[in-house]
Amino acid sequence: MSSFEKIGEGYSLDLTLDEAQILINLVEQLLELLGEGDFFHHYDSTDPLAQLLAMPAEIVTPEDPVLLRLLPNAYADPEAASDFRRYTEPQLRDAKQKNLRLVREELTILVDEKHGGVIEELDAQIWLAAINDLRIALSVRLEITEDSFEKFELLSEQDPQKPVYAVYFWLGWLQENLLGLLT
Amino acid sequence: MTNMAETLTKPETSINEMLDRPWITIVWDDPVNLMTYVTYVLIKLFGFSKERAHELMMQVHTEGRAVVSSGTREAMELDVQRLHEHGLWATLQRDDKI
Repeated sequence: MSSFEKIGEGYSLDLTLDEAQILINLVEQLLELLGEGDFFHHYDSTDPLAQLLAMPAEIVTPEDPVLLRLLPNAYADPEAASDFRRYTEPQLRDAKQKNLRLVREELTILVDEKHGGVIEELDAQIWLAAINDLRIALSVRLEITEDSFEKFELLSEQDPQKPVYAVYFWLGWLQENLLGLLT
Repeated sequence: MTNMAETLTKPETSINEMLDRPWITIVWDDPVNLMTYVTYVLIKLFGFSKERAHELMMQVHTEGRAVVSSGTREAMELDVQRLHEHGLWATLQRDDKI
């Protein structure tokens, strides 16, 4: 089974081609959902004045439950939540996209060459955050609860959701594996 | 006729109390984030000891929420933003207790 490894101060991840393809598909789906690129023309400037001028009057609270979980309200009060979102959501979205893009870049090499292999010298913090966001996205779609693992084990092999659950729990295992190396 | 001296002093006290009342950052339980991950993020972002981070994580898990930091509104907004970057479900509010 593929896993992260710590070699000296660096981290690596050994993946089969199938695993790399599953991961890159998930990463691309989440990037699409996060609206890859959409925010760049507004927010790529480092000039504070340009950023201020590009500040939208309002950013609507996401309707998609995955986005609402990844970009949650910071206040119970809707008005305060909306204000906070207006000032912070672009950066939060951008941070998540950056992580996912880096992971995609590293996976692309394996997928393009059509073989499994080792991703060396990877940024463990970025991978940790990206895997967590992928798990969150899947969990919302699967409506994960505390007893989902039991539910998964009872699903028949023919159930179309079974492989999705399997990927979700595999990502949890992978994340636990990386955390074990980091702590 | 209102006693000006009284109206001036009384609200002032309550405003001071209100200003002293700090803002707090709350982390909420969810069935997704790994217990080890929540502990790891609390250590990374707030510099808690392993024991303290574990204690707070367990509080989130068993009680559904835990206060992880308190201070000015600006500081709590930053904490919430950093927690959201790490995928933890966090909100801020004024401390309920006076």
